[in-house]
Amino acid sequence: MEIMWIEKILLVVIVFAISLGTAAYSTLAERKVSAFLQDRIGPNRAGIFGILQPIADGVKLFFKEEIIPANADRFLFVLGPSLFMITALMTSAVIPWGKPLDLGGRMFDLQVTDINIGVLYVFAVVSIGVYGIMIGGWASNNKYSLMGALRASSQMISYELAMGLSIIALIMMSGSMSLKEIVAQQSGELYGISFLKGMNWNIFYQPLGFLIFIVCAFAECNRTPFDLPECEAELVGGYHTEYSSMKLGLYLFAEYVNMFVSSAMMASLYFGGYNVPFLEMLNLPYNVEVFVGVLAFFTKIIFFIFFFMWIRWTIPRFRYDQLMKLGWKVLIPLAILNILLTGFGMILTK
Amino acid sequence: MEQIIFIILSLAAIISALVVIFSNNPVYSVLSLVITFFSIAGHFVLLNAQFLAIVNVIVYAGAIMVLFLFVIMLLNLNKSSEPSAPLIMKVASSVAGGLLFITLLGALRQSEASAGLSGGNIGSVESLGRTLFTNFLFPFEVSSVLFLSAMIGAVMLGKKNLKDS
Amino acid sequence: MSKLKENFNDKKMTAVIILSCLGIVSMLADIFSYKKALWYIVLAGVAGAIVANLNEKSNAIIYDMLLTDNYAIWFSTLILALVLLWFMVSKDQYESGVYNSSDNYALILFATVGALILTSFSDLTMMFLGIEILSIPLFILAGSNKKDVSSNEASLKYFLAGAFASGILLFGITFIYGSTGTFKLDKIADWANAAGSNLPALFYTGILLVMVGLAFKVSAAPFHFWTPDVYQGSPMFVTAFMATIVKGAAFAGFFRLFYTSFTSASGSWALILSILIAATILTGNIIAVYQSSVKRMLAYSSIAQAGYILLTVLLSNQEAKYALLLYIASYGVSTITAFTVLYHVEKIKGTDTFESFTSLSQTHPLLSVVMTIAMLSLAGIPPTIGFFAKFYLFSSVLKSNTSYLWLIMVSVAGSLVSVYYYFRVIIAMYGQHEPIISSEKKQIPAFYNVLLLLLVCVIIILGMMPDVLMSIDNL
Repeated sequence: MEIMWIEKILLVVIVFAISLGTAAYSTLAERKVSAFLQDRIGPNRAGIFGILQPIADGVKLFFKEEIIPANADRFLFVLGPSLFMITALMTSAVIPWGKPLDLGGRMFDLQVTDINIGVLYVFAVVSIGVYGIMIGGWASNNKYSLMGALRASSQMISYELAMGLSIIALIMMSGSMSLKEIVAQQSGELYGISFLKGMNWNIFYQPLGFLIFIVCAFAECNRTPFDLPECEAELVGGYHTEYSSMKLGLYLFAEYVNMFVSSAMMASLYFGGYNVPFLEMLNLPYNVEVFVGVLAFFTKIIFFIFFFMWIRWTIPRFRYDQLMKLGWKVLIPLAILNILLTGFGMILTK
Repeated sequence: MEQIIFIILSLAAIISALVVIFSNNPVYSVLSLVITFFSIAGHFVLLNAQFLAIVNVIVYAGAIMVLFLFVIMLLNLNKSSEPSAPLIMKVASSVAGGLLFITLLGALRQSEASAGLSGGNIGSVESLGRTLFTNFLFPFEVSSVLFLSAMIGAVMLGKKNLKDS
Repeated sequence: MSKLKENFNDKKMTAVIILSCLGIVSMLADIFSYKKALWYIVLAGVAGAIVANLNEKSNAIIYDMLLTDNYAIWFSTLILALVLLWFMVSKDQYESGVYNSSDNYALILFATVGALILTSFSDLTMMFLGIEILSIPLFILAGSNKKDVSSNEASLKYFLAGAFASGILLFGITFIYGSTGTFKLDKIADWANAAGSNLPALFYTGILLVMVGLAFKVSAAPFHFWTPDVYQGSPMFVTAFMATIVKGAAFAGFFRLFYTSFTSASGSWALILSILIAATILTGNIIAVYQSSVKRMLAYSSIAQAGYILLTVLLSNQEAKYALLLYIASYGVSTITAFTVLYHVEKIKGTDTFESFTSLSQTHPLLSVVMTIAMLSLAGIPPTIGFFAKFYLFSSVLKSNTSYLWLIMVSVAGSLVSVYYYFRVIIAMYGQHEPIISSEKKQIPAFYNVLLLLLVCVIIILGMMPDVLMSIDNL
């Protein structure tokens, strides 16, 4: 019993470290990717290829002067960024990072907790994340912050609907809301062809659902082309206009953590999670297979993070009414259509 | 262990519910109501009803209370501008509420859990879904009329009057 | 799959399906531009629903949730007939251009679905759903005159009071479920019979909370505070709908629940209910005397009438069913008539005070006659149906239980008070003569003249031959 607790705590610490580490290096990657896309070099002063840049940025944020506006609500002003960061980190608890490790007969689960409603858990935590932005924006006592916060929350609520509807189609097929179960089901043969083993990924059954999901994920993470909450041209800096030093750091950082987690969600819901095609043919020892699986999972995640950045530096920002129109009038009907199609498909193939 | 968690959750629920009522700042009221919902979700988890717990958080804390906060922020109700109720009203409502409380307390003290209501798995998605689509299929279908009328109502109230357009 | 089909053929509830579909048809009227024909479609649909309802297989159990016994069929028919009447008299309001008829009609039809469920439920979940389906469209309809502040206020007040009542009702239902372990009305009754006098306090508390919740919905004192403002602020025919159809359905549900499930526990709630009734009758009648607006007077009168109707719940026997059916029919027809006249008077004169009725007998003799008969019926004066309904109600209470003599005395005293304020309207119409302004001579469309005459005929003919309703067997 006790050893299980220790194992879980260890796993939590590792997952936190990885989430934060990935997020930290995403900031560097973002700058490098943008530099590449704009034919520049990007940061290269701190360490080789700028590898120490995230640390330098962190140190800078930590040592900056702490400013709390005179008319701000002090308690809520501090609560906002903390809540945003906490919710961003909490989501990773249900993601299965790999198959259970075999430690001399004892299976060590590479998932912090397998609750039978994992998908809904992620939704619940994401929906709480809105509070971080809203509280922060309101407590700053600044009209630009408030506008940014209102934009952020209405955007997140609107896109949550379409996102939930797109997942319903997936849950209809999998028959389970446990992420572990959903990922395990994707290890089978694609379309029943025995050669395509380990390729039974949901993307091949739910292409429309995935498209909706990824668009919504962009909106949920407040990333371009949907980054209206922090639209500099209109709102100075958006909901974090009044923030400085590490509290600003938390907001910016949580955004990258969110990006990491939603990439992990996309990889595990639609791209087979830790499953690697044709891996079983190699007849590797079990633990090596697990290890390869974890590596594959992270490769998928990193690809999606790159995709986030790629979009950011290619596509311009939406206008606000366009954003709402897309969410309510295009994505939600499409998601409902997807549910109908999935239902018909399931009846026909049964 | 379960007992301790239950007590902590109950205390959190009661205290935050009291803050909802006594806070002068509406934003704090809304936020403590969110905490109340979380504590209740915790109670659902203790009863092994994870689905209800999560749905409680998603629907109430994640959607409805956000809209509340939205309205309060837009109306800028951060100062307590509400006139306080006359004393007689306060006394009367305390007496009425207190009587209700005593009645409920008396009723609940005598009662024991009736048979057939406690089951290990009644809160899981599977059993909930099965009950909803077998025993409660008809209410489930009929509630679509309710939602449809709520939607029409929202659109109707949001639209302009015919004469204006 | 085939079993599902079999179920569907066997179990009908056709009226509910027709009305739901009709609601959707009316909702889409704007898109497919058949709004001009909408009124006729809706009228035909409701008439079809009445026919379907009368042909409903009797004593069918629908998904173990609804029971189409004679009570359900006849109360549904009565409510549908009132709805049909409502659609006829309210035509003018929805053609005036302020309200969008397609949305409003859709909401009314959906509310009617809730009303039908309230007459036929056999399960507490259905009762709750019925009440909600009935209430939510009306929260919105109360505020449908968007530019009018008092309409907005009505909507908000109705919503807050309604939500609060629903909360209490749900609380009560939970307690009943907690003690009995079932939602089914007949099983609750069996359970209470088996337990005999040994009923747990949880059950009593549940009954009381349910009673309070329902008392809110039927606006019995002291839970009536929302009623005057809501009735006054809402558009005229929405008020008429609330006062007749909503109230009728809520009473049908109230009676059905207490008659089926709680009669054996009546010792716990009869006294409280009788106090509630006395308070309701006194409050409604006395405050109505002091009103200057006829619409607000009708609101208080509807509170008072709720007190009389609650006597049937107190009685909870076979005879009470007839009394309830008769009373709802009488009250419904008379109130709709009164509101129709009031609508036209307000349209001509611009206000709804008692003064606006002054010398109406000279400009609009027909309207005055109709209003007089409606007022006589509400006051319970022969030869109208209102008299017979009240008479039958009071006599059946006395016949079954003489210990309620005091309550009947209160009711009769209340009725006497009510004569005062109902006659104020009549006296204003006939007693005072004032110079007539030419703009006030505007006549109402012929269609309404015919309709109002028809309503008067119904009130008087039913008053002379109430046997039509009494001859239904085995209600």
